[in-house]
Amino acid sequence: MSPKEIMRSFALSRKWYYLIAILAIGVAEFFQVQIPDILGKFINRLKAGHATEHVVLFFALDVAMVAAAYVVAFGFGQLQIGRLGRTLEFELRQTLFAHWETLSSRYFQMHSVGDLLNHTLNDVTVVRQAMSQGMNQVTQALFLFAATLYMTIRTINLGLTLVSLIPILLIPLVIVVVGPQVRMRSRRVQEALSNMSELAEESFQAMQLIKATSNEPVELERFRILVEDIVDRQMHLVQLNTVFQAVLPLLSGISFVVGLVYGGDLVIHHHISLGSFVAFTAYLSMLVQPLLQFGFVINMFQNASASLMRIQVLLAVEPDITDPEHPVEKNWSGEISIRDLSFEYPGSTPKVLDHVSITIPKGSTLGIVGRTGSGKTTLLNLILRDYDPPANTVFFDGTDIRDMRLSDLRELIAYVPQDGFLFSTTIGQNIAFSQPTVEPEAVERAASQSRILETIQSMPEGIDTEIGERGIMLSGGQRQRAAIARALIKSQAKVLILDDSLSAVDTRTETEILKVLRQVRGEKTTIIVAHRLSALRDADWIIVLDKGAIVESGLHQDLLRKNGIYANLYRIQAGGEPSHG
Amino acid sequence: MVNPESEAKREVAMGDSASAMRHLVAYARPYLKEFLIVVALVIVYILTQVVQPWLIKIVIDKDLIVSHPLLGPIITIGGLYLIITIVGLFANFMQNRRLQWIGQRIVRQIRVDLFRHIESLSMRFFDTHETGRLITNVSSDTNNVSMFFTNFLLSVIQDGLSILLVMGAMLLLDWKLAALSFLVIPVIVIISVLFRKKLRESYRFTRTHFSRLIGYTAENLGGMRITQIFHQESKQFDRHTELNQRYTKGNITEYRWSVLFNRTFDALGNLSVALMVWIGGLAVVHHTIEIGVLYAFTSYIRQFFGPINSLTQQWNTLQSSMISAERIGGVLLTENEIKEPEKPVVLRQRHEDGQLELAGEVRFNHVSFGYSPQKTVLNDIDFTVLPRSFVGFVGETGAGKSTLMGLLTRFYDVNQGSITIDGIDIRSFSQRDLHRAIAIVQQEVNLFSGTVADNLRLFRREISDRAVQEAAEIAGADEFIRAMPGGYQAWLTAKGANLSLGQRQLLAFARALSLNPKILILDEATASLDSHTETILQQGLTRIAEGRTTLVIAHRLSTIRQADRIYVMDHGQIVEQGNHQQLMEQNGHYAELVQKSAPDTVEASD
Ligand SMILES: Nc1ncnc2c1ncn2[C@@H]1O[C@H](COP(=O)(O)OP(=O)(O)OP(=O)(O)O)[C@@H](O)[C@H]1O
Ligand SMILES: Nc1ncnc2c1ncn2[C@@H]1O[C@H](COP(=O)(O)OP(=O)(O)OP(=O)(O)O)[C@@H](O)[C@H]1O
Ligand SMILES: [Mg+2]
Ligand SMILES: [Mg+2]
Repeated sequence: MSPKEIMRSFALSRKWYYLIAILAIGVAEFFQVQIPDILGKFINRLKAGHATEHVVLFFALDVAMVAAAYVVAFGFGQLQIGRLGRTLEFELRQTLFAHWETLSSRYFQMHSVGDLLNHTLNDVTVVRQAMSQGMNQVTQALFLFAATLYMTIRTINLGLTLVSLIPILLIPLVIVVVGPQVRMRSRRVQEALSNMSELAEESFQAMQLIKATSNEPVELERFRILVEDIVDRQMHLVQLNTVFQAVLPLLSGISFVVGLVYGGDLVIHHHISLGSFVAFTAYLSMLVQPLLQFGFVINMFQNASASLMRIQVLLAVEPDITDPEHPVEKNWSGEISIRDLSFEYPGSTPKVLDHVSITIPKGSTLGIVGRTGSGKTTLLNLILRDYDPPANTVFFDGTDIRDMRLSDLRELIAYVPQDGFLFSTTIGQNIAFSQPTVEPEAVERAASQSRILETIQSMPEGIDTEIGERGIMLSGGQRQRAAIARALIKSQAKVLILDDSLSAVDTRTETEILKVLRQVRGEKTTIIVAHRLSALRDADWIIVLDKGAIVESGLHQDLLRKNGIYANLYRIQAGGEPSHG
Repeated sequence: MVNPESEAKREVAMGDSASAMRHLVAYARPYLKEFLIVVALVIVYILTQVVQPWLIKIVIDKDLIVSHPLLGPIITIGGLYLIITIVGLFANFMQNRRLQWIGQRIVRQIRVDLFRHIESLSMRFFDTHETGRLITNVSSDTNNVSMFFTNFLLSVIQDGLSILLVMGAMLLLDWKLAALSFLVIPVIVIISVLFRKKLRESYRFTRTHFSRLIGYTAENLGGMRITQIFHQESKQFDRHTELNQRYTKGNITEYRWSVLFNRTFDALGNLSVALMVWIGGLAVVHHTIEIGVLYAFTSYIRQFFGPINSLTQQWNTLQSSMISAERIGGVLLTENEIKEPEKPVVLRQRHEDGQLELAGEVRFNHVSFGYSPQKTVLNDIDFTVLPRSFVGFVGETGAGKSTLMGLLTRFYDVNQGSITIDGIDIRSFSQRDLHRAIAIVQQEVNLFSGTVADNLRLFRREISDRAVQEAAEIAGADEFIRAMPGGYQAWLTAKGANLSLGQRQLLAFARALSLNPKILILDEATASLDSHTETILQQGLTRIAEGRTTLVIAHRLSTIRQADRIYVMDHGQIVEQGNHQQLMEQNGHYAELVQKSAPDTVEASD
């Protein structure tokens, strides 16, 4: 849904609230314009000389009551609109978050968190401001305008009113001409803000690197350039805004002069009374304030419309990995086969996988080794549909995974990523990430299986210890083991995937974890990617990837005998000198 | 999520907003002259506003009430009116522009200072402060603070001046009635005081929950892949809904209070008019005052409340500026735990290669350290690394190896003992020199959005393309960089996600090499590399390693087998040391690790 539609459906679904709120403000303005009238009458009565204490009290009460009605009605309307605006804000954020959840890794690679964050941080707020504060002021100004018009026409003179309003009628023209400019400049400001947030985010997250290289001055300089850019763009916008905000009251000033001269003329020729003339000028000057506000509010709306456009661009992105129309339903058992899979990442040309074919029988363990950048992670990404494989290349129990429901596929797989992302929640919540309702015993079991239980128990608050952003409070190996526990707790999964997930643990712990894996894996199909060959000692079959193609495969002993890449790796790790293979 | 208690503590620790604000007012000081010009322009504007009704009065008294009115003079006055309006608007326009300009300059300065300060803080600060929040500090809090100058201050000047003018006029007209009318002022003060606490609380509540919402969103955007692969979208969404709801509820409550506050003043203003009608009316009836005076007074009271109302509208601006000032102040006032020495040891640079004149001897003297006082992570660590040697560190995960290196690079300072390079305490070096002497490559690689070349030289202009390329060649990264579309100018997307993890590590290597350090620390920097690539890398390293001390942490033991000395760590202590041969003979921890690392142990034991 585009934000315009969201706004429309939001407004429609709450049309009664809006109607009542607008009505309330209308009523309020009607009451407000009565007050000068009452005061005028009061003065006339006093002038006439037959006012009593009673009459005085009556007028005082009249003012008080009308004023009370105004305050209550206006407060009510204002409150409603403000509340609705904040509800809209709520919904926009919900929509954005929900939308992001449908987008794949491909999208998040192209957009930095700082930039995306700026949308929910600033753009949504700008829209809300227009929809609550702006809307309030516009309604108020319009009604005040209408009420004043009504009073002048009814109590004074139609011709005078019309003639003096001509300049004011130019306002929409000004808005149409200048508006798009304001919108464009405002969008550029938001973009500059996004750029700054982006840099700040990157920089704060790379703090150790920046400190270790004493690179602070360079970062500061990069930051300063972006900040300057914001100032420039902001001033560019201000130049237009201020002109705009001056032109509107100028038009109303011209109106006033026209009214003055023409009204004076009418008085001279006895078409209207002096009293009417005085009242007319009073009414005209009442319009100045709302018009001043109007200029301000129009700017607000232009900014909001720029922000809405930015949100629009964001929401227009179609999720590229989706459920099939008719998902296959069956009792999945966990056999994975890959047939003639070739793949390249969208937008970059070299082939990352090159005619890969392999079948991993249910319950068996496949080991994958290969040089850096040979395509191991890519292969796993495709099995997970983190990226979409070409049709008819990756099969789960003989079904193309593209015909499976995404949630089914992902429920079936327990996965340990190569870079072990953790959330800043507690260690327990991280382990139980996929089963939030699980009992603590299960968390403990998974923790002990991945050999992190002891560490957890030594922490100040045990399982409820918060581990900081991205798990900063843990050592590298502890993070990796927490990620393993997070996968192991998915006991119902049929497939277990470890992407180089033991690289940061010492060999003793590795041996222990492998032993556990051997026990728990049972019927599970397991894929282990590793650089350290010791992690593959339980594999039923090992493949060696090179430049995206399977170049060797077999059991440990076979591979050694082939004397190829694998044997070379083995020699290096087993302690001898590398051969020159 | 951060628990509410620590949150509360942090808020308290920030100190009161007044002092924070005072701190930030310093940013406005350079613009004092500009502010004075703004005030002058505001005065011009207000004066034109005052003159306008007076012109109408002239039209009425001089031109219309006379027996034979003429149009001519009216046109003249109309023209005059137009000119005055234009002058007023122009003054207002100039004022507005100038003020925005000042505001922008102030935000810019605060942003830059804040960023500089944050970057200077020790790692401990980043352990406890979420990135998402720091970003809000830099991007929106700074903006809020500048609104204090552009909106609130403007309103105070403009509205305050109008109020004073009105009060003056009232006093001139009838001081007794004026004095009576001024009785409303204490009422205004009382109402403000009554509302103050509530407004503040609700505002603070909203801000806190907003930060939480934003922090949550930021984190989830970063971890979206994990959420999706674990199929937890709905759970994470529910949590988002919960946070969003709580924020929205707070936001509406806050809005309700501020509407109530504003409308109360509105009501008070109108009540005052009614009272004036009553009291003044009675006075007129009893002939104590004239009708004209009463008329004037009712309009003055209305004029008096106009600016009061617009002032109260600015209350929210004040609130948000104050709270933002507190937050920014809280960060700016955080002292850096890592202190620069007052008189840093001066290191000379060698001519040939720009390296510092150091031998590169590293010594830990009975060092103890803990991230928190309750739990020591390193316990009485004592060793010396000879210049130009290659030493390895192994040990169980969590033993404290990375922590050790974090101390050497001064991410944290030791609790006890000392660390020296060439016998000089590292706390006596300027951090710049220290970090020029030491480079560290970590397992976790940080990349910036930018080109490959920019990432390698870390945006430093003084490092040439050639140097960058040479470093990449030594690190063995040249090959894959060239294969990328665009080569060295290829754009790395967010955090280098278009590279394999091993490739990212190679980039980090090349980066460290292009800095040409005296002491090189590799903290599991080859863990994500295959052994073949690693060997090539090591050959490259030894080729350029003359004169360099290298400290290597590794779990893959083949990485450090050739080390001159290997330290085995366990639970924050060094339990064994020696070279590979000696350690194997000791048959302790190390020997066990080696035995476990053989790819075919299972076959052997099965
Ligand atoms: N920023 C931090 N705040 C609090 N505790 C921390 C922090 N960083 C590490 N720790 C704790 O300090 C201990 C030592 O961690 P360290 O990272 O030094 O281990 P390590 O030997 O490098 O382990 P690994 O081999 O897993 O990388 C661990 O128990 C860890 O939980
Ligand atoms: N998102 C992406 N977009 C474009 N290219 C990519 C992307 N991810 C990886 N690549 C490229 O694809 C190739 C294979 O990467 P992959 O991550 O599969 O390697 P890997 O075998 O897992 O390596 P490592 O052992 O270093 O983890 C690399 O050349 C890499 O640069
Ligand atoms: Mg990989
Ligand atoms: Mg470590």
